[in-house]
Order: sequence, then C-alpha cells, then structure tokens
Amino acid sequence: MQYQRESWSSYIEARRRVGTYECLERIERLASENAVVIFSMSSCCMCHAIKRLFCGMGVNPTVYELDEDPRGKDMEMALNTLLGGRSATVPVVFVGGKLVGAMDRVMASHISGNLVPLLKQAGALWL
Amino acid sequence: MASDSLRPRPSDVQQTEKRRGPGAASERTPDAKAYVQQLESSRMRLSQIEQDLQQSQAQGMVLGGSSGFGNISQGAAIFDMEYARWLDDDNRHMAELRTGLQAHLSDSDLRMIVDRHIAHYDEIFHLKGVAAKSDVFHLITGMWASPAEHCFLWLGGFRPSDLIKMLISQLDLLTEQQLMDIYSLQHSTQLAEDALSQGREQLQQSLIDTIAIGSSSDGMHQMAVALGKLSNLEGFVHQADNLRQQTLHQLHRIFTVRQAAKCFLVIGEYHGRLRALSSLWASRPRQNLIGDDGSCQTTSTGLQMLQYSGHNHLNNF
Repeated sequence: MQYQRESWSSYIEARRRVGTYECLERIERLASENAVVIFSMSSCCMCHAIKRLFCGMGVNPTVYELDEDPRGKDMEMALNTLLGGRSATVPVVFVGGKLVGAMDRVMASHISGNLVPLLKQAGALWL
Repeated sequence: MASDSLRPRPSDVQQTEKRRGPGAASERTPDAKAYVQQLESSRMRLSQIEQDLQQSQAQGMVLGGSSGFGNISQGAAIFDMEYARWLDDDNRHMAELRTGLQAHLSDSDLRMIVDRHIAHYDEIFHLKGVAAKSDVFHLITGMWASPAEHCFLWLGGFRPSDLIKMLISQLDLLTEQQLMDIYSLQHSTQLAEDALSQGREQLQQSLIDTIAIGSSSDGMHQMAVALGKLSNLEGFVHQADNLRQQTLHQLHRIFTVRQAAKCFLVIGEYHGRLRALSSLWASRPRQNLIGDDGSCQTTSTGLQMLQYSGHNHLNNF
C-alpha cells in the first residue's frame, strides 16, 4: 500500500482499513457458526467446483455468496487480506472455524489426506 | 501430423512391391492393369483430400497437430521445445531407474535416483505453469502431446485416477496399509477430478450463454465478458496440474524406495508406449493402396515397423 500525501486519500485509506477490520470480524463470526463455511460467488466456476468437492465427500457446507451480499465487496477485500493478497479471492474455505484456504490449499489438503480428519474433528463427517 | 498420415510413404508401397517381386503382380492379381489403375485413382483422391485440407486450413479450421492460423504462439513454441527436451531427460531418468533396480543398489542410492525423478516431474509442472500464463489453449487442447495421449487428455494432462488404476494392476507386494492408502488416494483424486470437471463444465456453459446472447450492438461488450470468463480456464489447468503433481508426490510417500522406483518406471513406460502408439498409428500403411490381399500385408508391415523402431521401450510392448 502506498501512502499518499493528500490527507483525503489517507482518510479514505483509514476508513477502508476500519471497514476491512469490521469485515474480518464478520467473516470470523460467520466461519465459527458452522462446521464447513465457504465464501463464494454465484458466478464463479472454481467456487462451483469446490462446492462439488465437498458434496462429493458427503459434507454439507454453508455457503455465503458474496455477490449477493450488500457488503460483498468489502468482504472480498477482507478475505484478500486474510489470504495475503491473492489475485482470485474466492472460494475460501473455513473448517471448524479455522481458515483452510483457497482452492490450492483445500485440494492439497484433500490429496494428502489431511482434510478428512479436519472435517471429522469439526463434526462435518461421521463415517 | 494429420497431413502426414494421409500421404502415402513411397517406401511402404515400394516394400510391398519388392515383397511381391517383379512380375509377381501379374501372377497374384488376375488384372495387373486394374491394380495400377486402383493405385492411380487412390493417389488422385489423396491429392484432392490434401487440397481440401489446405482450403479448410485457410478458412481457419484447426486440424490435427497444426494450427488453423498457421503459426503457434511464442509461449506455445517455447513450451514445445522445453517439452521435447524434458522427454529426452525423461529417457535418461528412466534408464537410471532401470539400471538402479537391476543393479540392486542400496536404498539410499536408489532414493537419490527416485528423488531426482520426482524433481524431474516437478520441472514439467513448473514449465506447464509458465506456459499456461501465455497460452492456456495450447495446453488444454493438448497440442503439445502425442495424438494417443491427446485422446485421453483431461484438463491438459493425464487423469490421476487412471494412472493409479493402472499402477494398482502393475505393482505387487503391497502391504495392507499401502493398499488402503492407494485406494484412498484413488478415491480422493476421483472426487477432485469430478469437482474440477464440473466446474469446467459450468465455465463452458457460462461462456456459451455469453456468446449466444447479444444483439450486434452489444457484441463487443459480450466478447469482453467472454474473454474475462475464458481467463478462468487457466485456473482449472493450474488446479489439474497441481492435482497431478500432488498425486505423484503422494505415491512417492506411500511406497518404499524400491516400490517408488518401479512405480515411476511403470508410469514412464506407459506414457512412452502411448507415444509409440501414436507414431505407429500415424505411419501405418493404408489398405486401399495395397490391393485385394491387403490385410495380410498391413499386419506384416506393421510388425516390421515394430522391429525397425529404435525405441527400446517397444521391447516391453
């Protein structure tokens, strides 16, 4: 982030950071309310893929479509911050209230066999 | 590659004539003139087909291994070159694995060879990642792969669950734990493949909807939207390649050193045979150029080609 000399820009920046913080809080809260939470966008095909993955495993994830949320844009930016500034923000997955990550991380954890124990621990899978 | 397969190799026809011997044509076929006429008409048909091919290429249809627009992108050309070099390296690594297994090396020595092999695979995934950024179409359409591999392509490469299925049938002496791990890996890759395939299907549908809609006044906007959607393809190829890479790494973890060496040998030979199959298919003689008893000639010529071929992996065929 670049700090502008104009005070208006730095004011906007400060407001944005506060907004991001509020969104992060909201994300944390939503993530802790269900075993598996996916932040998605209805038009995103990778999000569709990740939903199919969890359904295929017999898991019923709670999905928040950010493009249908009035604060969706801010949520997106907050998730971006959480993930360390990625180009594609969604999908983002939380299991048991903890961040698993974007598609990369979820897939890697799935293939290495780490995802199922996490899901069982969170009570999303019983078999 | 498509045009090559349509042109008759002069050597094939000469071989057939040589085998028959001079004057044998008049002995075996009742009407030698008819045979020659048949050859002539086939050749005319061929040149007509070639002309049609060139015409349709000019109209922008993509055929076989050549791009309809004449040139391939720079990214694609670079990747093809790198891939050719990688294939040479692959042969070297395979030879190392083979001699390593036969020589009954110690586990630590064999481990070094296997680790180098894994790094060699990591390299091609890295190269594909770079190529995807400049020309995802080249990767996803499999223009860089041999036709047989191309046939079974899934999102720009091999399908991990198919590879595992093949390995299960090839490897023995697995412990119960290993079998469980492999079946579990197979199940996971299957789920992941299905998920990615479905995501890609949705992308395709969405793209079709975008291009289908739109009055002429909205055309440019729709194209811009379509371009945006198309860029998501790169994400799918990336995930598919990640899946392939992680599957190989996971197999490496499940197996002992010797099993891993055998496993990679099997994988390499399998792909080598697919490539060899492509070459054999492309160079097979055409029946209608040979004559009535052509069927026998085709088989024996095919077998002869098997013998000529310098590829040593064909010995395992």
